[in-house]
Amino acid sequence: MAIINQATKELQVKIVYYGPAMGGKTTNLVQVHDHVQTAAGNKGKLVSLATSSDRTLFFDFLPIEAMTIKGFKTKFQLYTVPGQVIYNTTRQLVLRGVDGIVFVADSQYEKMPENVESFQNLVDNLNSLKINLAEIPYVLQYNKRDLPNAAPMEYLDFLLNNRDVQVPSFAGTAHKCEGVFESLNMITRMLLQKFINQSVPQYA
Amino acid sequence: MATLPQLIEEDIQKLDETLREFLARTDATVALILDKGGFVITHQGAAGELDLVTLGALASGAFLASQTIAGLVNEKDFNHTALQGERASIFTTNVDEHCLLVVLAPAKTGIGVVKYFAGTMVSRLARQLAVARERDPEGGLDLSELNVADPQDFFRKKPV
Repeated sequence: MAIINQATKELQVKIVYYGPAMGGKTTNLVQVHDHVQTAAGNKGKLVSLATSSDRTLFFDFLPIEAMTIKGFKTKFQLYTVPGQVIYNTTRQLVLRGVDGIVFVADSQYEKMPENVESFQNLVDNLNSLKINLAEIPYVLQYNKRDLPNAAPMEYLDFLLNNRDVQVPSFAGTAHKCEGVFESLNMITRMLLQKFINQSVPQYA
Repeated sequence: MATLPQLIEEDIQKLDETLREFLARTDATVALILDKGGFVITHQGAAGELDLVTLGALASGAFLASQTIAGLVNEKDFNHTALQGERASIFTTNVDEHCLLVVLAPAKTGIGVVKYFAGTMVSRLARQLAVARERDPEGGLDLSELNVADPQDFFRKKPV
């Protein structure tokens, strides 16, 4: 969970990008890395633990700093998980200590079963960490809206956002950086809202 | 829900003091305490240009992966891992359920020495973390200055 370090005046938060294989999770991080407007030194290196064919093997990692609140620097660690079904153990490891989630779904009609399976896998993996989905802020990004076989947003909402409380969802074309910052800013807003409403551990 | 204790200045001082003592005994370069989620809690030593944030994320992930491997080979856990190179070694060990100690040492410093002294120091670190954990965890960060309804973006895209 998030850390408040009173000694260094830092708030550290972990956001995980989750979703089916080839859905655009890594592309989101690449776009944030390439396009975010930050002061010098506020953006770390994008680290990718990938296969030779650029498929995520363990995780991608991007540390990034946002605004300062009451003298506290807000530092975000963005992770992706490997989407391929066989890497479930790795996904569980990456989810450890997660504060917020961006679920990146693939809008193509034929990917709907994979979207649903991945979302259920997220719920299961959170449960294995004793986290209920309802307790953790998350947003949905319906990626690949530029493809001709993209399903309507309403259909994706019906499949993935059909719970008691609907969460924010965004249309995305991650490779053009569309929907990327919208999703990141919303999950950040939701996380900080949560911290206002509940205390988080402090490091003095 | 929280996995971490609430640490006050005194805790950090004691943790840092233990790390400094450990470094002096072993000639290791840097010692870090990590949350298993990947955050660096505190560190001591000559980090220089070393990217501790990335090191923390990778070391934590690698250690957790080794724990999973332990399960696959019917070990309860591997409570430490050691990586040895030509110029540097990295030793990682469990501190408690939530935290790790990671030590970067020059190759000439034997892993055995690091492991020996880490064994004695880890219990001190764990004790201090336990003391902190027993405190009232009610404190939080006052974010009242922040208007989360403000439509201004936290992260801004560079103008094209």
